[in-house]
Amino acid sequence: MSVPVLIADELSKHYRVSRGLFKPPATVQALNGVSFSVSAGQTLAVVGESGCGKSTLARALTLIETPSGGDLMIDGIDVARASRAEQKRLRQDVQMVFQNPYASLNPRQKIASQLAEPLVINTALSAAERREKVHAMMAQVGLRTEHDQRYPHMFSGGQRQRIAIARAMMLQPKVLIADEPTSALDVSIQAQVLNLFMDLQEQLGTAYVFISHNLSVVRHIADQVMVMYLGRAVEVGPSEQLYQRPLHPYTRALLSATPQIHPDPSRLKIRIEGELPNPLNPPTGCAFHLRCPHASEQCREQTPRLRALEGREVACHHAETLL
Amino acid sequence: MALLEIRNLSVRFGSKTATPVVEGMDLRLEAGEILGIVGESGSGKSVTMMALMGLIAAPGIVTADALTFAGQDLLQLSARAKRQIIGKDISMIFQDPMTSLNPSYTVGYQLGEVLKQHLGLKGSAARQRAIELLELVEIPGATARLDAYPHQLSGGMSQRVAIAMAIACQPKLLIADEPTTALDVTIQAQIMELLLRLQREHNMALIMITHDLAVVAEMAQRVCVMYAGQAVELGRVPALFQHPAHPYTEALLKAIPEHSVGAARLSTLPGIVPGRYDRPRGCLLAPRCPYRQEHCQDSRPHLEPHGGGAVRCHFPLTEATA
Repeated sequence: MSVPVLIADELSKHYRVSRGLFKPPATVQALNGVSFSVSAGQTLAVVGESGCGKSTLARALTLIETPSGGDLMIDGIDVARASRAEQKRLRQDVQMVFQNPYASLNPRQKIASQLAEPLVINTALSAAERREKVHAMMAQVGLRTEHDQRYPHMFSGGQRQRIAIARAMMLQPKVLIADEPTSALDVSIQAQVLNLFMDLQEQLGTAYVFISHNLSVVRHIADQVMVMYLGRAVEVGPSEQLYQRPLHPYTRALLSATPQIHPDPSRLKIRIEGELPNPLNPPTGCAFHLRCPHASEQCREQTPRLRALEGREVACHHAETLL
Repeated sequence: MALLEIRNLSVRFGSKTATPVVEGMDLRLEAGEILGIVGESGSGKSVTMMALMGLIAAPGIVTADALTFAGQDLLQLSARAKRQIIGKDISMIFQDPMTSLNPSYTVGYQLGEVLKQHLGLKGSAARQRAIELLELVEIPGATARLDAYPHQLSGGMSQRVAIAMAIACQPKLLIADEPTTALDVTIQAQIMELLLRLQREHNMALIMITHDLAVVAEMAQRVCVMYAGQAVELGRVPALFQHPAHPYTEALLKAIPEHSVGAARLSTLPGIVPGRYDRPRGCLLAPRCPYRQEHCQDSRPHLEPHGGGAVRCHFPLTEATA
């Protein structure tokens, strides 16, 4: 196993939210002490429902927002202490693919010029060299090079996501953050795009952080999976282990709630009641205890920490008894 | 007699000669039955149901040989008579509850509007019925929620309100257009369960429109698979998912990540759905179909009975070939 290119240690991001003129602002702990590492050529999938902090994590990893606490190391550089020159390099090394390819591409710019833009900004290549690189990348993501003078609206959703991926890959980044890259796509197109992600990783050795709300999409592409709930990681572990034997009650509930094509009538459906608690006023103790079928007095009072169990990490007081 | 019968429904936009968005759609639905309509975006699944509801406005052109609901011919009815049925006996819920509810009115007002329009309930009687409906869809603190505005509710709660509005008049048919697509998976499971319970208790027929095959596999009794505006396969669940007869159904099933657990790559259907200008002369799937033969490129197949359902393919898959 190679050296990790991305290390997050107790990363957190808190936002202050105004509650009106006469009340003090409240704090939302969107990201609350999340730790993980990703090596070159590996994929970490971050899974959770809306409001669990996965997009905040993406924004922190891509240097769009400064974390409120914790350390972030990318390719050996501590982001918080990086000089301007190092920061510039980091911004080339970390790239992002967004959810909606209809919104993430500039509708008024031709594909060739959108793909060349990272090169214009970050390299000293000549126009001819840029053109060559753009064409090479277009071919690599399965687009026809003669379409380089087209505008985004002339492509289908799947092709647009290919363009967005090509743009993110132009600078050969070390880390690629993909925030729900297939959730706007149809099933058959989703499969094509997932395969493209895997092909590119094999060819270029990029580390992926793949964010999704859908556990079955992630299963295929991930080496490691991190399940998040209300700003915290509740379970982190190797993908296959986590799917075969989820330890945290929330992971189990997520897996059991995901509809299946060949439903097993004997499968026990875990029904979880209620909705995500208000992040402005999170519950005491374990954030999941209000919806958890196994919650006890201890869960109401103590916040469980991530601890090692069965080759992975899980944040639950009762993980052993649930085995 | 079937509750709903659609024969040869076509929808075009622009002119009578334009490429159809829905072409030759046939559908029968018995009372109390759950039918799933699946297909990718642009396959015409929503347009079919909107045509049934009379929601296609100009320049849309709807043609059909028959469109009957509970013995009444919807094509012959006046607009006024149709309004008595639509929204009362047939109602619909939409994908995004945040946009299908009016942000300027309270939940109670919007529910009351339905009750007044179709049942003539007013004042405290309407309020009482609205509270009952909110309790029926399992909204906690129903009385207090009546005065809430949609933005004060979560996505799951808003969808419950939309469902309450749709079942307010005890419809015979509820059409749900991607009712869980905008929701998180744990909330999706709750809404699916709620819809099934209401369907059972009120013996409603339910049409679930979705792009998610797994949702249909878990909920529906029968399924209709659509591709490029045509129904390509009709059949019972789970038989259709176990032994698809149409190559498109098979490809869709194979593209789901669940199918390829352990494999290096997902299996895909190459290419994209044909558009207006590259609509094939023969079978619409022919350019993408791994089983195509010469005949497929020249002649367009019809929906023929096959097994317990129907399939639109010259060479339907058998258990041996699939």
